Amino acid sequence: MSFDPKILGIACNWCTYTGADLAGTTRLHYPHNVRVARVMCSSRINPAFIFRAFVLGADGVLVGGCHPGDCHYSTGNLYARRRLAVTKKILEFAGLEPERFRVAWISASEGNIFAETVREFTEQVRNLGPQTKLAAQKRMLA
Amino acid sequence: MIQIEKRLREEAKRLLETKEAAVVLAFGRGFDEEHPMPLILRKPSDAEKIVFNEYCTFNMARHLTEFPPGTKIAVAVKAADSRAVTVLIQEGKVKREDLIILGIPVAGMKDFRSGTAIDATTTGPAVNPVLYDILLADLLPEPKDVSPYDVLAEIEAMSPDDRWGFWSAEFSRCIRCYACRKACPLCYCETCFVDQAKPRWSEKSPSASSNMMFHLTRFYHLAGRCIDCGSCSRACPMDIPLYLFHKKVSKECEEMFDQAAGMCVDAKPVMVDFKVEDSDDILL
Amino acid sequence: MSRIGVFVCHCGLNIARTVRVDEVVEFARKLPGVVLAEDYKFVCSTPGQELIQESIEKHRLDRVIVAACSPLMHEKTFRKVIEKSGLNQYMLTIVNIREQCSWVIEDEDKATEKAKAMVNGAVYRARLLAPLAARFIDVNHDALVVGAGITGIQAALELANAGRKVYLVEKGSTIGGHMAQFDKTFPTLDCSACILTPKMDAVLQHPNIELLTYSEVSEVQGFVGNFNVKVRQKARYVDHEKCNGCMACMEKCPGKASSEFDELLSTRKAIYIPFPQAVPQKPIIDRESCTYFLKGKCRLCEKICQQGAIDYEQQDSEISLQVGAIILATGYDLMNTEALKQFGYGSYPGVYHALEIERLFNSTGPTDGKAVMRDGREPASIAILHCIGSRDKNYNEYCSRVCCMYALKFAHLFKEKTSADVYQLYIDMRCFGKNYEEFYHRLLEEDVKFIRGKAARVTDRALSPEEEGKLIVEVEDTLSNKFMRLPVDMVVLAPAMQARRGVEDLSRIFNVSLDKNRFFIERHPKLDPLATHTDGVFIAGACQGPKDIPDCVAQAIGAAAEAITIIGKDKLELEAATAFVNQQICCGCQNCVQVCPYDAPGYLADKGASEINEALCKGCGLCAASCPTGAITARHFANDQFMAELEGLMQY
Repeated sequence: MSFDPKILGIACNWCTYTGADLAGTTRLHYPHNVRVARVMCSSRINPAFIFRAFVLGADGVLVGGCHPGDCHYSTGNLYARRRLAVTKKILEFAGLEPERFRVAWISASEGNIFAETVREFTEQVRNLGPQTKLAAQKRMLA
Repeated sequence: MIQIEKRLREEAKRLLETKEAAVVLAFGRGFDEEHPMPLILRKPSDAEKIVFNEYCTFNMARHLTEFPPGTKIAVAVKAADSRAVTVLIQEGKVKREDLIILGIPVAGMKDFRSGTAIDATTTGPAVNPVLYDILLADLLPEPKDVSPYDVLAEIEAMSPDDRWGFWSAEFSRCIRCYACRKACPLCYCETCFVDQAKPRWSEKSPSASSNMMFHLTRFYHLAGRCIDCGSCSRACPMDIPLYLFHKKVSKECEEMFDQAAGMCVDAKPVMVDFKVEDSDDILL
Repeated sequence: MSRIGVFVCHCGLNIARTVRVDEVVEFARKLPGVVLAEDYKFVCSTPGQELIQESIEKHRLDRVIVAACSPLMHEKTFRKVIEKSGLNQYMLTIVNIREQCSWVIEDEDKATEKAKAMVNGAVYRARLLAPLAARFIDVNHDALVVGAGITGIQAALELANAGRKVYLVEKGSTIGGHMAQFDKTFPTLDCSACILTPKMDAVLQHPNIELLTYSEVSEVQGFVGNFNVKVRQKARYVDHEKCNGCMACMEKCPGKASSEFDELLSTRKAIYIPFPQAVPQKPIIDRESCTYFLKGKCRLCEKICQQGAIDYEQQDSEISLQVGAIILATGYDLMNTEALKQFGYGSYPGVYHALEIERLFNSTGPTDGKAVMRDGREPASIAILHCIGSRDKNYNEYCSRVCCMYALKFAHLFKEKTSADVYQLYIDMRCFGKNYEEFYHRLLEEDVKFIRGKAARVTDRALSPEEEGKLIVEVEDTLSNKFMRLPVDMVVLAPAMQARRGVEDLSRIFNVSLDKNRFFIERHPKLDPLATHTDGVFIAGACQGPKDIPDCVAQAIGAAAEAITIIGKDKLELEAATAFVNQQICCGCQNCVQVCPYDAPGYLADKGASEINEALCKGCGLCAASCPTGAITARHFANDQFMAELEGLMQY
C-alpha cells in the first residue's frame, strides 16, 4: 500500500473552516488525510505550532485563512501572511522540504477550493514520502 | 583605535561630569589586552578604565534594557550595534531622548577567541553607525559590492537533506548554555519562551528535538529584528554558526518586505507590520 | 484527572453511514480522562440533550465532547445544554465528524480512522479547558442607517417608529435614491413619487431621525452594541440652519451644469436642489459649476439671500456618532453602457438607458413627461433591449431581476404616450413576483411585439431604403431561428444593476466582505440573509444584490427588526474567549500593542508590561501569536490547549 500521509490542517473559523463545512454540505469528496484544528484567525497561529506539528509527526501542514482584505478581524491575515512566510523560509533553510507546508486563502464560499486544495496538497505530501526529520525528534510531550 | 579610545574616554568623562549621562556603556580592560570586557561607568573618574581596540567586539546595546526607564545612558556603538539601538527604540524598550549615542566608525575588528578578522561573513559589512549623536572618528568609506549574504551561497545550494544533515549536526552540539541569548542585544525577554512550563515549547536541557525547537523558534523571534552583529556566534562556546541562520532569515525578510532591520527609528519591525500589497508569492 | 463525557452522534445516517460510530465510542471510552462515551441517533434532539444532561449529573462530568456536526451549527446549542446542568459553557468541545468526515470521505475505514483521531484531539484539548466568565456590555440603543434610498428610508422609519434614535446618513444632497428618479412602478403603475415622497417627508419630520445628507461614513470603530462612527459632512456652502428654503438664490444663479438627477438630460443651477421634492428642501452650491468658485467673482446668491445663509468659506466637518447597530442600504449603480460599444450608447443619440427613460416619462423631468427624443421628435418605433451587461459572462453573469418588468412598464407607457411600435428583445421573460406574470399577459394584449433573442448590435448603417435614418437592431429571433434587422427610431437599453462604485471602501470601513460581483455578502444565503459576518452590521436592499422595490422594502423592515434585537437590549453577552497578559512574564516588547486591530492592548510603562482591555478584545489571538515569551493567553485557544490538540490529532 502506498504511503498514507498524516497532515495537520489549521483553519480560521470565519473563512476556511466555513468553506470546509460547505465542502461537507455539498458532499465534495476529498482525502481523509488532513485533520483540521480550528482557530479564530490565521493570525492566531504561532510559528512554533507549525514546528511542533512536524515534531509530532505531521507529514505536512496546511494552513487556511481568509483572503487578504477579507479578514474577519480586518488585518489579522496580513500579519499571518508575513509570519507564515518567514516560518516557511526557516523550515526550508533548516532542511525540511518546503512543499510540506502550505498556506491557502479559502473563503467561506469556496468549498470546492478547500476540497481541491486538500486533494492537491495530500498528493504533494504523499509524493514526498514520510517526514522523518523533525518527526524523529519527538520525545517529550507538552 | 588609540584615537577612538582617547575620544571615548573624553566623552565619557565629560558626559558623566555634566550629568548629561548617568551611565556610560563602553569597553574596559579584561585580564589582558586581547580580552577586553563590557564596562558600565557611573563615575567620571572611571573613564580612565576605558579601552578600545580591535577585540572590543561586544554589542553594548545589549545592556541598554538593564536600567530603569528614564535613565540617561551614553552608549558606545559600532556599525551593527547602532542598528540594535535603533530596534530597541522602535520597540519602545528605550527612548531616543534618553540616549547619547557615541558612534564609532571602525573596520578591522577581530574575534578575541580565534584572533581572526570579523568581516561580512559573520557580521554586516558596514563600518559606520547608522544612528549617533557624537562621532568618535571620521566616517569611513563603506565597502562596496560586499553583501552580508554572500556567505550563504554554499548552504543555500545544498539539497534539503544535506542542509538538514548540516544543521542537525551543528545543533546536536548545542549545550544549551544560552550564551547566544545572553549576548544578543535583542533577546531582552526576562522570561524566555523556553522557560515556560505551560506549555513546554521545548525542553531546557540539550537533546536533538529540543535544541532544534529552541533554535528555530529563536530564529523566528529575531526575524526582521536581527541586525547581524554576530554576537551570538562569537559567544557560542561550541562554535555553532548561528549567524548563518540569522543571516538567511534577514535576507529573506529584506527580500520579502523590502526593509532591513534597525536602519531607521521611525520604521516598524517587519513582523509587527504588514503591507496590504505584500505578495502572496512570499508563501510559495 | 478530568471527567470527560464523549457523545457521538449518528445524525441519522449522515454520520453513521460512513463512520462506524460504535467503534469511535469504544475508542473514546479508553482515552485518559474519559469516564463516559455514548452514542445517540440525534444528539441535538431533545432526548439527546437530556442524555447529556443526565450523564453530567450521574457521572459528575466536568467536560463534554460532542462528536457531531460543525461547531458553527450547534456549538451554541450544546453550550446551553451543559450550562443548564451547571457546567461552564466553555467546558464543551465539538468534534466535527460530519462536515469534516462522514460527508467528505467515502471509505468507511478511513472515515472511522479520521473520526477517532479527531476525537483524540478533542480529548487532549478538553483536558486543558478552563471555565470562562461571560462578559456583558451596555448596549447603545441608537442605530445608524447608511444610504437613504427607499431601503434606507424604510429601515430608518421602522427603527424610529419603534422608538429608537436613528442617524440616517446619505451621500447625496437629497434622500430618495433611485426610486425618486422613477416615474411609475411596476406592476401596479402607481406613481413612484406619490408613494415615496410621503416617506421622505416622514423621515424629515420624525423626531427620532437625525438626517445627515451630503455626508459619508469615514470610519467605524468598536463593536456590536457600541460602534463609534465618524461621519464626514461635505461643505454645502449654504448654512442649512439659516436657510429657509425660499429658493430665490436658485432663480438668480448664473452657473449651470447638467442635472445628475435628470441623468444629464437637463440643466440645473450651480446652487440647486436636485429636484423639486428633494429632502431637505435646501440648496447646496456645486463648486464645479459656481461662477464665484470658478472665477472669483459673482456672489449673487449671497446678495439675494435674506437669511445670510450663503457661506463660501464653509469646510467639510466631522461628526462623531455612537450607535449599537448599523444597517447598510447603499444601493446600486446602473452599469455604464458606454463600454458596450456594440449597443451604440453615447454614439447614437437615439440610444437611451433605462434611467433616462424614467426621467423622460416623468412630468417633472427634462421633457415635462413627453416621450420625445433628444431631437424633439416622437419616436415611431422603439426597441427595448433586455439583459445589457446582465446574464452575460463577459460582464455580469447574474440576472439583474428588475429589467424584464420595467421593460414591460416602459412598453406600456410608450404605448400610452405615443403611437409607436414597441419591440421587446428578451432572452427569457422573468416575471417572478406577485402580479408580475399577470402584467406580462396584459402587455401581450397591448400590441407590444416580443422577439425572443438578445440584441447583438445596434448600427446606423442602412442596407435598404427603409433603414435610412433609422437605428438598426440586429438580433436573432431564437423562436424562428431567423436573423433579423429591426429598423427603429429609438433604442432603450436595460443595463445591469451593479454594485456601487467605491463599495470597496465601504467594505473596509464596515468590515463586510464582498462577493465576486462586489455585492455585500450575507451571513447565510438562506437563513441569515440580512446579517453579515460582522456582528451588529446588517445589509438590506440592492447593496446585497439586484432587487426590486418590494424586496428592498421587505429587507429594510427585516434589517430593522434584526437591529432591534440588538439595540432593544440593555446588555449584550460577549464572547468570553478574550486574551490576557501575564505581566510576570511579559517582556515589554509591545508587539501586541503594535499589531492589535482593536487597540485592546496597552503598555504600562511603570510595570514594563502590557495589559489587554478585554472590553475591546475580539478574541482573534493575533496578539498571543505575536508574543515571544508566551505571556499572552488567548482564552479557549491558549497555547497549551492548542498544542495539546495538535498532539491528539497527530497521535494516531
